[in-house]
Amino acid sequence: MATLQVTDLHVSVADEEAKTTKEILKGVNLTMNTGETHAIMGPNGTGKSTLSETIMGNPKYLVTQGDVTLDGVSLLGKTVDERARAGLFLAMQYPAEIKGITNSEFMRAAVNATRPEDDPISVRAFLKELDKNLSILNMSDDMAERYLNEGFSGGEKKRNEILQLMTIKPKFAILDEIDSGLDIDALQVVSKGVDEMKSPDFGVLMITHYQRLLNYIHPDQVHVMMGGRIVKTGDDSLAQELEKTGYAGLRDEFGLDVDLVDEDVPAGNGGR
Amino acid sequence: MLKSAVLDMNPALLKSSTFANEPKWLTDIRRRAWEKIESLEMPVFAKINYHSWPLLKLAADPSINVSVPKEVTEEAKNYHLATIGQIVAKLDLSDKLKKKGVILCDMQTAIQEHPDLVKQYLFTKSIHFDENRLVAVDAALINGGAFLYVPHDVEISDPINLLQFQDSRQATNFINHTVIVAGENSRFKVLQRSATVGEVANPAHIMVEIIAENGSYVKFSALDSLATQTHAYINRRGYLEKDARIDWTIGLFNDGNTIADFDSDLVGIGSHTEMQTVAISTDRQTQGIDTQVTNYAAHSEGNILQRGILLGASSLVFNGIGKIIKGAHGSKAQQENRVLMLSPKARGDANPILLIDENDVIAGHAASVGRINQDQLYYLMSRGLTKEVAQRLVARGFLGVVLSDIPMVEVRDQMVAMIERKLVNGQGTE
Ligand SMILES: Nc1ncnc2c1ncn2[C@@H]1O[C@H](COP(=O)(O)OP(=O)(O)OP(=O)(O)O)[C@@H](O)[C@H]1O
Ligand SMILES: [Mg+2]
Repeated sequence: MATLQVTDLHVSVADEEAKTTKEILKGVNLTMNTGETHAIMGPNGTGKSTLSETIMGNPKYLVTQGDVTLDGVSLLGKTVDERARAGLFLAMQYPAEIKGITNSEFMRAAVNATRPEDDPISVRAFLKELDKNLSILNMSDDMAERYLNEGFSGGEKKRNEILQLMTIKPKFAILDEIDSGLDIDALQVVSKGVDEMKSPDFGVLMITHYQRLLNYIHPDQVHVMMGGRIVKTGDDSLAQELEKTGYAGLRDEFGLDVDLVDEDVPAGNGGR
Repeated sequence: MLKSAVLDMNPALLKSSTFANEPKWLTDIRRRAWEKIESLEMPVFAKINYHSWPLLKLAADPSINVSVPKEVTEEAKNYHLATIGQIVAKLDLSDKLKKKGVILCDMQTAIQEHPDLVKQYLFTKSIHFDENRLVAVDAALINGGAFLYVPHDVEISDPINLLQFQDSRQATNFINHTVIVAGENSRFKVLQRSATVGEVANPAHIMVEIIAENGSYVKFSALDSLATQTHAYINRRGYLEKDARIDWTIGLFNDGNTIADFDSDLVGIGSHTEMQTVAISTDRQTQGIDTQVTNYAAHSEGNILQRGILLGASSLVFNGIGKIIKGAHGSKAQQENRVLMLSPKARGDANPILLIDENDVIAGHAASVGRINQDQLYYLMSRGLTKEVAQRLVARGFLGVVLSDIPMVEVRDQMVAMIERKLVNGQGTE
């Protein structure tokens, strides 16, 4: 079993134009073990992507306090590629497009990155695995030969993130809004891919705005994030409750001093 | 004029280049060019100063080594014509193509066996011997190259592959001139591969003339990898008649200093060219590349794409020249010149130059000199690739857009390997 732990994490971003920094995460605590499924929900702009990018090691985000550890070892001094090789994976909300590199050669390079230099995966073994994953995700073979995310539709990009996840097989995956922009069928397919990964050696943290994803991938824990902190943790039923009351209800329940972007959305529309 | 831009006008030089039993018309071209050398200017490459390069440091008493090294014989396997200096290492054209009237041979043989045909095309249409000093030197001293003639209406599906080695096992002159003739409505692909054998510092002069007659289609690709000690002048020119088309894909991977001039003259109505060049400069190398399309005719179209990568303390300048002559109405000229700098010490430049003398045209350009995109780098690294590997992937992707246009898989693989080697070496020097 591996453990990913976030302790009292404070994160700022630099506003290059105004030459100031802004604190976004204000003391996040979270503990995840492999074998577990967690979900984070929360209103727009509350810091969910900031949390996932910071765990992954995006240099744009500055940790001012607290720690992120993997099995007790701090990740903060490690670069993004070192964290990836240590077993972290982030399915990004907005994956980059790169012309001239095929999807398949990129994934092979990624698989080989965690193997000894003199023992790369055989082309045959790689292709076999790739074919299997493509078919689970209902992706056509030519998606693997296309340039990385280049000209992919929103839904295709999301599927491609899951394809990479299945091929690279990390210890922990963070899925940032993997469900946004997916139609119902695609949502099912993507969930099937994540489901396929389920094992005692794999943990997943899903960031989502919609309870419906949690119908397909059942979380052990649901966390609600507001104003740069996790304000409430519960089980599956917390997501359903949120769907009914919206974030404003929760804010008022806790007496939080948080501005919500869409203050006037009536309760019952649950952050949609 | 700097000394290095001056040719030592030793008549022995002229004599040493002459082919056996050379026809009088060729000797005349040589003599006329020779007489003009001193009065002509060196060609201008904007933002490149190459005047101290020993491009004209030619051997008055060149020696010829007739032995063919093993590396040449092995490499020659996939080629129809392979030469090392003036020596033919291999010539293999199928009987089927010969029956259709296709001619392929080295320049010396062509001049002896097909003098009238060669006379019709050599320095008559695309390149003129008195354009500038370097061209005049080459016209006077031409000593090798190839001749490919594809008669009208002949279509060839497999590419014709030419392998041309500069022989630097000894001091000798490499004045390599290739003429490719596409008869009316013919269609074919040609690949020209140039490289150096040996360690001696000789300049290299490579010229290619493609004459594309009415309605013909030529897909020309080239991969150049001349040695570090070779200073190179490369001039490739297309002459396109009515409705002809030439698609160029050139990989310039020389290790030494290079000036290159790639031109297409759209002389016929409805003619069309796509000119793609990719290049890498490393270490202290300087490369200047001019790609020019001149629209002479109405409804002609020429598009330029140039991409380059710089490492170390190298320089790389792309000039894209789009020239539209008055009367070429309804013509199109687009160009894109991009360089990617992987080292803070490198100097890259991408200059679009548009000279338009006609109103009814569509012309445009895009140019950029940039560093690697950080979001792309982060994305690749987030999957576990080291910064070096991620950089190489992005860089290779940047050049790789032309790879699929190289018709021969072996050469495509060579190009990928060359890009990889240059990037790895270049990253090591930072
Ligand atoms: N690189 C950055 N530079 C400047 N501000 C940033 C940067 N990244 C995030 N922010 C700001 O930090 C806040 C939190 O953003 P974040 O993307 O983490 O929110 P989120 O919870 O993921 O929202 P959403 O649900 O819309 O995806 C926002 O106000 C955002 O504008
Ligand atoms: Mg977000």
